[in-house]
Amino acid sequence: MKIKMTGVYVDDQEKALRFYTEVLGFAKKADFSQGPFRWLTVASPEEPSGTELQLALNNNPAAKAYQQAIFQQGQPAAMFYTDDVKGDYERIKARGAVFTMPPTDVTGSTIAMLNDTCGNLIQLTQLVRYSR
Amino acid sequence: MTDHAQYTPSPASGAQVRKDGEKWTLVLVRELRHSPEKVWQALTDPAHLREWAPFEADGNLGTVGATAKLTTVGAPTPQVSETTVTRADAPNVLEYNWGAQDIRWQLEAFGGGTRLTLWHNIDRRFISMGAAGWHICFDVLDHFLSGTPIGRIVGREAMKFGWPRLNSEYAKQFGIEAPNRPSQAAQES
Repeated sequence: MKIKMTGVYVDDQEKALRFYTEVLGFAKKADFSQGPFRWLTVASPEEPSGTELQLALNNNPAAKAYQQAIFQQGQPAAMFYTDDVKGDYERIKARGAVFTMPPTDVTGSTIAMLNDTCGNLIQLTQLVRYSR
Repeated sequence: MTDHAQYTPSPASGAQVRKDGEKWTLVLVRELRHSPEKVWQALTDPAHLREWAPFEADGNLGTVGATAKLTTVGAPTPQVSETTVTRADAPNVLEYNWGAQDIRWQLEAFGGGTRLTLWHNIDRRFISMGAAGWHICFDVLDHFLSGTPIGRIVGREAMKFGWPRLNSEYAKQFGIEAPNRPSQAAQES
């Protein structure tokens, strides 16, 4: 058993695809449709066979309520790891994303938080490497 | 008599795409050797829908104003949406929504049978997929109405029954590129 898939709810899959590819820099992985349902995932170009992120439409009341509640509490809907949070912050900001928290040192890591324009906060995390 | 395992879909035919700018509507026509009344029941009665349709309905769709939950069968994650029947002129016209999409059925008496037309406003990128899926569903519907049901073929199972070929054929007929098929996506991962 492996963790290969996680997901975020989004209010518009097309807008989400643009943001997650053109702004964040991920690559589209799967995109197909069955009835009104669209299965859409992205993956990191650094790890094309790695964990996929499903961009799921929040077209049901439970998804909308959950998404809004954690957004209002300032909780990230997903967390991505990076080796260079400051570099990614500058790169993503330059492409027009709004950060709600610039790179900030916290216990064990440096984190930043951005708005994905689809109803979510996304956290970028760079772990602190302690020398032994 | 065909059974489930022997089923092979006929070549792609009877489909058109109505293009209104970016909004495309799939229009499918199928001639059935059964009365509009019988076809109407197959389109509205949950027990009949279960034999051929790509969704489960938890209520009858034959009355205007009726609501029901439609569950997409075989989707990668459970997908349930609420529908409202907006038009039900038995046994001729039936309209309701499937998620954010609109479904319109027209049943015309034709040579002792029914000419069945479906309008479905599928996103243009997935319109050939929808045509391929409905094609197989209509074949299964025809068997069901003829008293020789072969059982619903939707979702992943349709992949084994010529869905990829139909998807390519319809994409060619519509003049679009066949989108990334689930099987291809799965192979890439």
